[in-house]
Amino acid sequence: MLEVNELTKIYREGRGVKKLSFQVDVGTAFGFLGPNGAGKTTTIRVLMGFMQPNHGSASICGLDCWEDRTELKRLIGYLPGELHFMEQLTGEEFLDLIEGMHGESRVIHKNRKTLLASLDLYPRQLIRKMSKGMKQKLGIIAALMLDSPVLILDEPTSGLDPLMQKTFIELILEEKKKGKTIFMSSHQFSEIERTCEQVGIIREGELLAVQDITLLKQKEHQTFEVEVEGEEDAQILRESGLFLNPLEDFKFTILVSGEQDELWKTLAQVHIKRFKQGSLELEEAFMQFYRSS
Amino acid sequence: MNRAIFRAMMKQNGKKIAKLSTGIILYEGLLTWVYPVISENPAITKIAEDIPSAVKTVFGVSEEARVDTFEAFISGQFFARIWAMLMVLYNVESANELLAQMVDDGSLAFLLSTPVSRDEFLSTQALVLLSGNAVLVLSTLLGLYGGTSRFEISINRWRYFLFGILGFTFYSLIGAYSLFFSAWFAQRDMALTFAAGLTLAFYALDVAGGLSDKLSWVRQLSLFQCYQPQEVLEGTSSPAKKIIGLTVGTIILLRLGIYAFNKKDLAI
Repeated sequence: MLEVNELTKIYREGRGVKKLSFQVDVGTAFGFLGPNGAGKTTTIRVLMGFMQPNHGSASICGLDCWEDRTELKRLIGYLPGELHFMEQLTGEEFLDLIEGMHGESRVIHKNRKTLLASLDLYPRQLIRKMSKGMKQKLGIIAALMLDSPVLILDEPTSGLDPLMQKTFIELILEEKKKGKTIFMSSHQFSEIERTCEQVGIIREGELLAVQDITLLKQKEHQTFEVEVEGEEDAQILRESGLFLNPLEDFKFTILVSGEQDELWKTLAQVHIKRFKQGSLELEEAFMQFYRSS
Repeated sequence: MNRAIFRAMMKQNGKKIAKLSTGIILYEGLLTWVYPVISENPAITKIAEDIPSAVKTVFGVSEEARVDTFEAFISGQFFARIWAMLMVLYNVESANELLAQMVDDGSLAFLLSTPVSRDEFLSTQALVLLSGNAVLVLSTLLGLYGGTSRFEISINRWRYFLFGILGFTFYSLIGAYSLFFSAWFAQRDMALTFAAGLTLAFYALDVAGGLSDKLSWVRQLSLFQCYQPQEVLEGTSSPAKKIIGLTVGTIILLRLGIYAFNKKDLAI
């Protein structure tokens, strides 16, 4: 369905993406994760036909993303990462414009009404007077109302409050039930975890790995920061077989994968001065998992 | 042409066009109101005759032209400078807003995510620009017809109509190369610098050429050579060939703009 093959796109200043290859099957969702400047948006720009690759190719439903870009847009609902609208229009006029450009249809109009109600957006307000969250909702409606078989969403929940993030995830799950293929970039593991089957990590323009989300979940990683009282306790920890990362003489980060039984058995033998549960950055957790598997 | 884009863009630009049209009509009303008073005062005619030719050039009054006619008055006071400035500003700025600014601020991303080709999008934007020009020229003519008829100033309406067409094609060419720069650079500042810079260069050549006989040849290099309001209004020069040339130039520049835009990587 969506196929990226040895894709390279380098900007003049040297940044970009190098030799990316992955594919997304029909009806599945692919989460694209990475820090800012990693190349997520560049990849999406190529998929949307805004940029021509230097090397390699990208295609959706057999159509080349650059050569067949106009035809391809009939199949795609798109939400850009940086949302900018024609500010002098109202939300309603903007949706009319997008609807008109897609060749008005009853389905689009019906979806639009449903989405406006679900996301609780009043569309008759001028866009320039809307908050960031309201603009985000407007963008989501513009992308989802089209009932396109493919959705390309660039950081779709940024700017939404937690309640609306939950609503958005429910909407995406609904779209998945309809058999849509979804390509979604995000910083938030939670939304990828709940919506995607596969996740790809990109860093400094290179795809580090692509992995099934279910495998990641099975081997959920957690970190704990522990400070013990003396050398004797520290020695017990060192000899315990736990995955330790020493921070100071008596202070460690412990990485636990899967069951925590061994951790608690070991901690029962030592005097603990301080204990803190840490969260592992997704990329780090992913890479740990990737290395271990 | 895409109707949905055209509607939205006209709404976006409508206020600006309406404000400019109103300003033009009011200013023309003022000029036609004061002209009968001025024309009846022999001292003013004398002053006009005594103005050095270089000063006349700077203010857009041709050297051989009479200075005691309404055509000389309206050309010098309005068409040659103020109207020219307004029309240039409208075209350079609007061409920029219709494309380069939309690339710069990213608002083009949503529009190009629809099944409307870049060709169709840019053709529609060009039509929006030219429609604005048409409305401004039409308002100018109507304002002038209204003013002259109200204050009983006799004019040859056909010549003014011909001048309107010349103005429309002349400023459309400026709009076309501004849109071309917009498409070529896809970057607001660069496009604006080149469009405004080129127009200013043409204007400077026109003024410099009129200041001295030795430099008169540089006038031939200026686009403003095609735009001599007083000659057209007085009927001493026929604008037909210029209108055709400017129209062909506009079409070529728009085609080039579309070609450049199709090839352009857009960081939106």
